[in-house]
Amino acid sequence: MDWQLLGISFLTVFMAELGDKSQIAAIALSGGSRSPRGVFCGSVVALLLASLLGAIAGEGAAQVLPASLLKAIAAIGFILMALTILWPHSEEGRRGEE
Amino acid sequence: MIEPIQKEQPERSQSAAFSESEWDSVSDHSQESLLKKKRPSGFWAAFGSTFLTIFLAEMGDKTQLATLLMSAESHSPGIVFAGAALALVTTSLLGVWIGCWLASRVSPRTREIAVATLLLIVSMLLLGSAVTS
Repeated sequence: MDWQLLGISFLTVFMAELGDKSQIAAIALSGGSRSPRGVFCGSVVALLLASLLGAIAGEGAAQVLPASLLKAIAAIGFILMALTILWPHSEEGRRGEE
Repeated sequence: MIEPIQKEQPERSQSAAFSESEWDSVSDHSQESLLKKKRPSGFWAAFGSTFLTIFLAEMGDKTQLATLLMSAESHSPGIVFAGAALALVTTSLLGVWIGCWLASRVSPRTREIAVATLLLIVSMLLLGSAVTS
């Protein structure tokens, strides 16, 4: 077991991810969801799968999958989630007015 | 022997006051949770939406590229993945913990606006990196 390599990869990824957009997303999603455990599990599985693909597939993965398109889809997903969080509240407000 | 009894009385009234206020907050919470049960927000809904968005956002991101480079250089992808996995679990745990802690300190309306703003910031960051890459 190469502990130095383990430590280096831990520190590199930890510093890269600290305050990065996926961590901001985890903060937002757990704050908005009633199931923080679901957000934590989803976030961990997604990150592990992404880095597993990175470790196994190597450079092939980045060339086959158009990263910018996937990022754009993710961005649309986050926008939709933001809208659904704001939407029910305005509906409740309308019901209150009636 | 007399002193402890005298001391006990004010403590009791204090605890009674505490339990009353606690009861109020508990009943508020149950009303709130009843209202929110109508929304689909179970474990799997949270899991699915979080998984999909974060997975797509992380594909081709700098963390994945760093893992890729390190595993290619070292010829031991298993150890690099173990280190990366530990780091990712830690940052996720920190993120969720911070989110829950912040959400418990603000009103529901403020929380919703803050969550929506953060999600929009994340999507702007993503769109920015999608355009530049």
